[in-house]
Amino acid sequence: MGEALIHNTIWFILLFPLLGVLINGFFGYRLGKRVVGVVGPAAVGLAFLAACGMFIGVVQSHHAVVSTLYSWITVGDFDVSLALRADPLSSLMALVVSGVGFLIHVYSVGYMAEDERFTRFFTQLNLFAFSMLLLVLGNNFLVMFVGWELVGLCSYLLIGFWFERDAPADAGKKAFLVTRIGDFGFALGVMLIFTTFRTLDFEQVFERAPELLPVGSTIATAITLLLFMGAVGKSAQIPLYVWLPDAMEGPTPVSALIHAATMVTAGVYMVARTHVLFELAPLSMSVVAWIGVVTAFFAASMALVQNDLKRILAYSTISQLGYMFVGVGVGAYAAGIFHLTTHAFFKALLFLGAGSVMHALSGELNIQKMGGLKDKIRWTYWTFLVGALALSGFPFFSGFFSKDEILWKAYENAGLWLWLVGIVTAFMTAFYSFRAVFVPFWGQSRLDKKIAHHVHESPQVMIVPLVILAVLAFLGGYMGLPHFLGGSAVEGFLSPVFAAEEGAHVAEAGAHAAGVGLEVTFMGISVVVALAGIGLAYFMYVARPTVPVALAKGLGPLYTLLFNKYYVDELYMAVVVNPLKGLAGWLARVFDARGIDGLVNGIAAFFGWSGQTTRKVQTGSVRSYALSILLGVVVLVGYFVLR
Amino acid sequence: MELALFVVLAVIAVIAAAGVVLSKKAATGALFLLLNFCTLAGLYILLNAQFIAVAQVIIYAGAIVVLFLFVLMLLSPGKEESQDRKPYIRVFAVFLAVLMLGEVGYVAFTGVLSGTPGQYTPEKIAEVGNVQAIGQVLFTDFLLPFELASVLLLVGIVGAVVLAKREL
Amino acid sequence: MNISSLNLTAIAPQIIIIITALVVLLAELFTGRKSLLAYLSLLGIIVAAIASWYIWNGTEQRLFAVPMFQTMAVADGYSLFLNLVFLVTAALSVLASINYLVRERINHGEYYALLLLATGGMMLMGSATDLMTVFLALEILSISLYVLAGFNRADLKSGESALKYFLLGAFASGFLLYGIALIYGATGTTNLAAIVDFLKGTGPMRGTYLFIGLGLLLVGFSFKIALVPFHMWTPDVYEGAPTSVTAFMSVGAKAAGFAALGRLLLYAFPTLLGDWVWALAVLSVLTMTLGNLTALAQTNVKRMLAYSSIAHAGYILIGLIAANEAGMAGVLFYLLAYAFMNVGAFAVVIAVGREGEPNLELSDYAGLGSRQPLLAAAMAVFMFSLAGVPPLAGFFGKLYIFSAAVQAGFVALAIIGVLNSVVSAFFYLRVIVYMYMQKPIVEARPVLAPPLALAIALAVLGTIGLGLLPTPFLTLAQQSIAMLFGA
Repeated sequence: MGEALIHNTIWFILLFPLLGVLINGFFGYRLGKRVVGVVGPAAVGLAFLAACGMFIGVVQSHHAVVSTLYSWITVGDFDVSLALRADPLSSLMALVVSGVGFLIHVYSVGYMAEDERFTRFFTQLNLFAFSMLLLVLGNNFLVMFVGWELVGLCSYLLIGFWFERDAPADAGKKAFLVTRIGDFGFALGVMLIFTTFRTLDFEQVFERAPELLPVGSTIATAITLLLFMGAVGKSAQIPLYVWLPDAMEGPTPVSALIHAATMVTAGVYMVARTHVLFELAPLSMSVVAWIGVVTAFFAASMALVQNDLKRILAYSTISQLGYMFVGVGVGAYAAGIFHLTTHAFFKALLFLGAGSVMHALSGELNIQKMGGLKDKIRWTYWTFLVGALALSGFPFFSGFFSKDEILWKAYENAGLWLWLVGIVTAFMTAFYSFRAVFVPFWGQSRLDKKIAHHVHESPQVMIVPLVILAVLAFLGGYMGLPHFLGGSAVEGFLSPVFAAEEGAHVAEAGAHAAGVGLEVTFMGISVVVALAGIGLAYFMYVARPTVPVALAKGLGPLYTLLFNKYYVDELYMAVVVNPLKGLAGWLARVFDARGIDGLVNGIAAFFGWSGQTTRKVQTGSVRSYALSILLGVVVLVGYFVLR
Repeated sequence: MELALFVVLAVIAVIAAAGVVLSKKAATGALFLLLNFCTLAGLYILLNAQFIAVAQVIIYAGAIVVLFLFVLMLLSPGKEESQDRKPYIRVFAVFLAVLMLGEVGYVAFTGVLSGTPGQYTPEKIAEVGNVQAIGQVLFTDFLLPFELASVLLLVGIVGAVVLAKREL
Repeated sequence: MNISSLNLTAIAPQIIIIITALVVLLAELFTGRKSLLAYLSLLGIIVAAIASWYIWNGTEQRLFAVPMFQTMAVADGYSLFLNLVFLVTAALSVLASINYLVRERINHGEYYALLLLATGGMMLMGSATDLMTVFLALEILSISLYVLAGFNRADLKSGESALKYFLLGAFASGFLLYGIALIYGATGTTNLAAIVDFLKGTGPMRGTYLFIGLGLLLVGFSFKIALVPFHMWTPDVYEGAPTSVTAFMSVGAKAAGFAALGRLLLYAFPTLLGDWVWALAVLSVLTMTLGNLTALAQTNVKRMLAYSSIAHAGYILIGLIAANEAGMAGVLFYLLAYAFMNVGAFAVVIAVGREGEPNLELSDYAGLGSRQPLLAAAMAVFMFSLAGVPPLAGFFGKLYIFSAAVQAGFVALAIIGVLNSVVSAFFYLRVIVYMYMQKPIVEARPVLAPPLALAIALAVLGTIGLGLLPTPFLTLAQQSIAMLFGA
């Protein structure tokens, strides 16, 4: 019964957004904004309904169901199908992606109403949703890779949506290129999986993996590290996180989509999906966990001093993704996915809230130039506050449960240090979340006179999604209560996927499994830390507004370091980008004979028979081409003669 | 006797080839080419390949070089202007050529021609006749290459017409 | 020997193409409508394709080698699959040429005749099993291309490109011929089957003429398929030649070179694998890397595509280096995919161009997405496919070839290959950026003549089709190569 439901619904999850792309893409300009504004959100909304159907099917069927469209490639032992997979993990992801995606689509109708490329925006937004759904639903590495690449492409198009300005265009390029580095690892990992297992099908790979690869084997480590490289790129972890803060140059709904529902969660999902492989490589697991926690820490520290509202949120996303990797890295996959879900709710809420602030202030984003907004845009303020509470881990809000679950599992499975870094990060999180609340919304207005007159609440079509998300951000946590409060529904739901491996970790870490008492203590510490962070923010930005300035002066170098984001962008520029650019330019000059007929001259000059080493010559001389051939002949024949 | 003839012809052939490359005037170069072709024909005779030798003289020496000279006469180019304003390029080219020569020479002195000789020994050729032997092979075993050569010539003719004819 | 031992059926596709060329030459005398000649050529191409198909089906088990003319050439799965590649290339190029020739005022019947003769040469290279036939086929192909490159006689660049190509091509042919002579000296034969037998008898002997001969042979082919450092002619020639010719030769000549090289190395010289494989590996790395990095700095689309084609030769070479069935099947698949996507890309270049070809800079593509959405979409498909974005044809080509390399133990080569395709994404994407994310400089809408539109549509169809339904073609490719590996 459940199976039939799955087969009946799963393809519609992809079909609807694809139809949206086709309709808006080919006929959008003729249909007009009004119709496009219905078709776009409707496509994702219907996909959400289909995902609900599939979810019910999964609940009923109790086992993973694979729905095959057709056999994509069958040659010899190479057999890959265009197939989708319905299991608890994929259905939860599909719900989050389509659900949050739908709300963002609705919001966009209002937010982008004035944009002249409205149609193109929705076409690309639908394509984005389609790609991400393909990624999470795919039943083999190839389908996943197709979704993976398409997601990268869409992010490029959408981040650079306002390409007339340089910053978005550059940000789009940066996102594409940086994630492409990760994709390179992912592609190699997939290739290595194929040559190791002779298949790309999830089920077969995971079945054969424990037989073929002993725990800790080099191949398992290599595969997982390469896959993780892809995750690092897509999910913006150290050292490839640099694209995400710039990505907020795109329209705000796009940022919300990237940060919450699509794109960045792909890496976490992928690690969770391939956890069977990661289990075989303890080294990779530790790498995942530590990269996660270090990223969480550094990103949070950078968020402390930013003045751009969206930038604060961007670093916060990086930091929260770090938590998720800590979760999957210590074997608490369900906790990682749980945090992914709650984060999707409150981060989408925060970004859309920030968009609403921008909307109200004609595009202003610098929180130092805001202040006192809480009475002017009430809906936005209250929903934003809910988001901030959830993010900071305020008790009984969703972030509290999910983050705490991860920290507890980190302690239980991996020990004190990981937990300690995590808890310090949690303190910073609470602080910067409420800095982002107090500075723009409380206190005196520091707005420009011109802007101040026009401050207005956003239209209904933007507010409603905010409210729905706020409810979710509050209630979402109750899907995953701690053990002593009745146990986690999410964990129970996901247990068919993860149970076996998670059990092993608990058994292994038996020494730490100290029972309810300690868990409650740790939760208490989390609460104190969160409250302390919020309290400090209140003290510094509301009670004593002079403190931050003094502190910035007092901690001069540290503040500058943080403010400039550890100069990582500059470092990459100097160490990677500029040398590469130089190399390409140099090669073009040397090897593209239009410039200089280079190779031969270069080598000849290198041999030093002439003083005129750098003299430029006329272009495209046949003689020097022939000489290049002769050089090749001498080397090649020399090789064969001396063999 | 044969060796002496070979050495004389070979030396002249090399000198003539060098002359083609080094002579400043195109006409001189063409004449060196003629000389080179003739000595090659002599070498072919030493190898019992009379037909090739005759073909060499008639086609290359006779037709092609004469055509060259006609063209040179009609266009009357002056002295070749040296385009190599960079002496080091020339030095480098010579260096590469010498290396190449060294490689080929190394193989020539150390390698063995290990191929099994075919059925056409000098005695057999003397018996059936040189031209007949070639004809026999050309129209049986090598019929396809022979026909392909005709296609090749067709391409050449069409190409020449396309590139040279005033009005197409 | 009598005439009945000449298996004319086996060589029928080649004969049909060459006869069509002759008919086209003659027909020009009787008709003023040159487009008629194009359709005549297309007819010949289709008939030749049908003939290839007929031969394929007429032989048992598809593992076959129909020798013709005393093993000078064969019709086997390998040559027949390559016929498909060459005929697709020729057909698309002819379609793309019809209105281009009119626009550039070079609408002469000889164009189609030469294009067909070159196609015949390519097909012969695919089926040649004797070094003599290989060489003659190569020369038929090359001389036709020299002339085609200079076909636009009014254009100095076209003439320059023809002359450069001719001089350097003759230079490279000299090395090839020398190599053949030395191999003949070492083995006593030019026939590939006989060479195989000879090597079986003696085993590879060090220091013989065989090695230097093989080296020189590689030089000759490296020139044809434009491997670094034998590539320097490529950008100048591709840029200078009429665009339709560039489309044709960038795929056809390359595929023909790989066809002959594959048969030589894997059928005749597998015993020397340990020797040639490392030479090719170095050439492949150089070719990929320099091709891609130099393409990064190009602003002229035609020249960018020239460097891109150099890089692609490097990728394809990896399949040869893997020297296993997966690799060779990958090479054949890649060549077919490349035929669609590269001819398609050049066809778009033709469509965007104007008389005298001034519209070749990236900036001429600015805003194409709004000026001519379908054309821009087609170009985007080709660019993505060339960059290896799934699920398009180019992606699967790369996937097969790279995994074959991993399978054969050339992991480093596969890594360099993947890394290179990451780099290449940048300049392919730049075309898309200009088309969709730049304001148009000129508002003119490129006019699409029906035959050109058909060519582009077919190329899009092929590029997407090979990506969504690769199985039949890959199966075909795998069956085709069986004979090379002596199955």
